[in-house]
Formats: sequence, C-alpha cells, structure tokens
Amino acid sequence: MREVGAESFPSLVVCAECDAVYARRPLASDEVARCPRCGALLGRGHRLGIDGQLALAVAALIVFAIGNLSALVTLDFRGRETVLTLPEAIAATWQTGEQLVALLALATAIVFPLAVIALRLWLLAPIAFDRRPPAFVPALHALAWVTRWSMAEVFLLGALIAIVRSAGLAEINVGIGLAAYALLTVLLTAEMLTGLHGLWRRAGERPA
Amino acid sequence: MRAQASASGVASARSRGLVRCEHCGLVSRIDTEEHCPRCRLAVHSRKPQSLQRTTAWLVVAVVLYIPANVLPVMGTSSVLGESKHTLLGGIVELWETGSWELSLIVFIASIAVPIVKIGALALLAATAAARSRWRQVERARLYRLVETVGYWSMLDVFVVVLLVGMVSFGAFASVTPEDGLLAFGAVVIATMLAASSFDARLIWPD
Repeated sequence: MREVGAESFPSLVVCAECDAVYARRPLASDEVARCPRCGALLGRGHRLGIDGQLALAVAALIVFAIGNLSALVTLDFRGRETVLTLPEAIAATWQTGEQLVALLALATAIVFPLAVIALRLWLLAPIAFDRRPPAFVPALHALAWVTRWSMAEVFLLGALIAIVRSAGLAEINVGIGLAAYALLTVLLTAEMLTGLHGLWRRAGERPA
Repeated sequence: MRAQASASGVASARSRGLVRCEHCGLVSRIDTEEHCPRCRLAVHSRKPQSLQRTTAWLVVAVVLYIPANVLPVMGTSSVLGESKHTLLGGIVELWETGSWELSLIVFIASIAVPIVKIGALALLAATAAARSRWRQVERARLYRLVETVGYWSMLDVFVVVLLVGMVSFGAFASVTPEDGLLAFGAVVIATMLAASSFDARLIWPD
C-alpha cells in the first residue's frame, strides 16, 4: 500500500476514545481489537470481502423495497379489511398537521436507511469492478453520517409496540412489510459491522 | 484479542504530536497538517469547544423535556369522546389495561433513558472540565453506553406514527399526534447531539 502523504502513519492506530497510540497489526476474521486502556473498539477482522458486502447491499435494497411497498399490517375491523404501508402511515401523520413529526419519521425510518444502502452500492459496485467510485471521499463522509442517523431498528420495535397496543381494537395481522423491515435491520447491522476502514484505505490510494 | 501495547505509560497521540482524523481514522502529524491528508477535512487534536457544545445541547434537552412531558403526545377521538395522553399518561394507561411489559418498555425508552442520558452526559462533562482522573475506565464505559443506547428513545415517535396510520384507516377512532411528541423527538435529537459533541478523550487528560 502506498503512503497517503509524507506525514501520515498508516502503521499506527489511535484509540478514538482515549487517544492512546498503538502499532497496527492485521486481525484474523474472528478477532476484535479493543483498547487495553479504555476498552473502546479499535477494529474488527474482516469476514466479508467486497463481493460479500456488495451482495449484502443488493439484498438490503430489495428488502427495503419490499418493506416500504408491502403492507406492514393488515387490519380487519367489522369485516372491512385494510392494509397499511409505512409511507401511508407517515402520510397519515402528515395530514394530521404534525408535519415535523412525519418528517422526522420519514427521515429516520425511510430516507436515511435508503441512503445507507444507496451509498454502499455507489461505493462497492465500482470497487468490485476494479474502478474508483466517483466522489469517493465525499460519498464516504456521507455514508458515515447517514449510518449514524438511520433508525430502522427503532422503527421496527415501535411498530411492534403499536401493533400490540391496538390488538384489542381490531384484528391485526403482521404483514410482509414488517417481516421485511426485520430482515432489513439484520442486513443493515451486518453491513455496519464491516466498518469503513477498508474503504477509507482504498480512498487514500492513488488510482493505478 | 488485545492490540499490542506497552503495559505502562500509554502515551496519548496529542503528547506525541500526532492526531487521529475523526472521520477516516488516519493518523498524521498535527503541527504540519491542519487537514487530514486522506479525507481533506480539518483535523483537531480535541473536538473544538466540546464541553461548551455538550453543555449547550444538554440545556436544550432539559428545557424541551418540560413540554415533552407536560404537553400531550397523542390524542384519540372516538364515539366515546376525545382524550389526550401525555407520555406518563400513556404509560399508566398501558399498565392499567394489563400490558405491563409494554408499559415498562415505553417507560424505559421515553422517561428513564433520556433522564439517564442527560445525567450521564452532565457527569461526563463536569468531570472532564475538572480534568478528573476518577474512575476513568468506568466513565469511558458510561460514554459508550450513552452513545449506543441514545437513539432508542425515538421509539415513542414511531409508535405514535404507526398508531395514527393504523386507525386512520379504520372507522372506529382517530389518533392524532400532538405537540408534546415533537418536543420529545427534539429532546432525543438534542441528547444525541450532546453525546456526539462530547470528546471522550477528555476523560483521559494528559
């Protein structure tokens, strides 16, 4: 690997939480490195290569589409059956007048998770074909930020609570959309665990 | 597995004239570079004005916590009439109708977690300002806990959004979110920003 600049030290790793300096060493795929002083995570060994991460992202995109287009729940009340998707629930919230609440839910449950998936595809697909992603560095910055504010798993638990809470009022059945969101949560967590360090290293390399 | 390190005298990057880019993790020399050679963003040995910003966001969170609890978060109307619930009111109602597990989950996520987060961040900021060396490892763990658990408090927002959606399609009742819910969402965001403003390295003064 080539040096990024004259004054950088890729052979060192510094703990993000206590500033302690260590020598970097490669990790096996099941190893996790923690700072001996403060216990913070320093890094994980990689289980998934670029191809595996790309597959995860594609799967996540499909599952995301299902989660948003399919019914979260189906309600049966006095013979009338209605289905509810997530965009419809947010639209209903918007129409009640609490538009900022609807926007908050829209952003954290739909837009940011989608951005995580889209940015991962943007970055991983070119790399899988040995090309440099366009706007590599800004895209990585965006991915880090959006990952932080994506709350699909909180939405999932909230939806389950809402369902249990209304169980007495009507017959409620969990829809495919909710199962899809549960799977999406798992996929997004798996993606997040692969970390961004490998991508940052590539970003620092000059194109061949 | 543990990273290789000397057992004694772990030197900080700052004391060695090095800095870790908070965005991309690259370690570079601080006195010749103001921007990370790799990702081009500004690097800081410590987050600028970390304690001031953390304290400011904590104040915002505390101030907004009042309307979040005093104002109703959700209103229902049906043939039986209208009613509005506050956060606590909703939790009590869940308890009284028998769903005490739900009541507990909502209580923990909406009441306990934000209070604990605000208290923990206040403690972290105060001890960091005093450059204390009291229980540093425990404080580091506390910070990690706050960072991990923080966004789960957004739970209540999603519960209400789903309830609004579900009943808006039914003929039996209508559910509306109220201003208290917006204040509550703002509290969660403010505590998340307070946590991300806090520089955990201040727990380990040179």
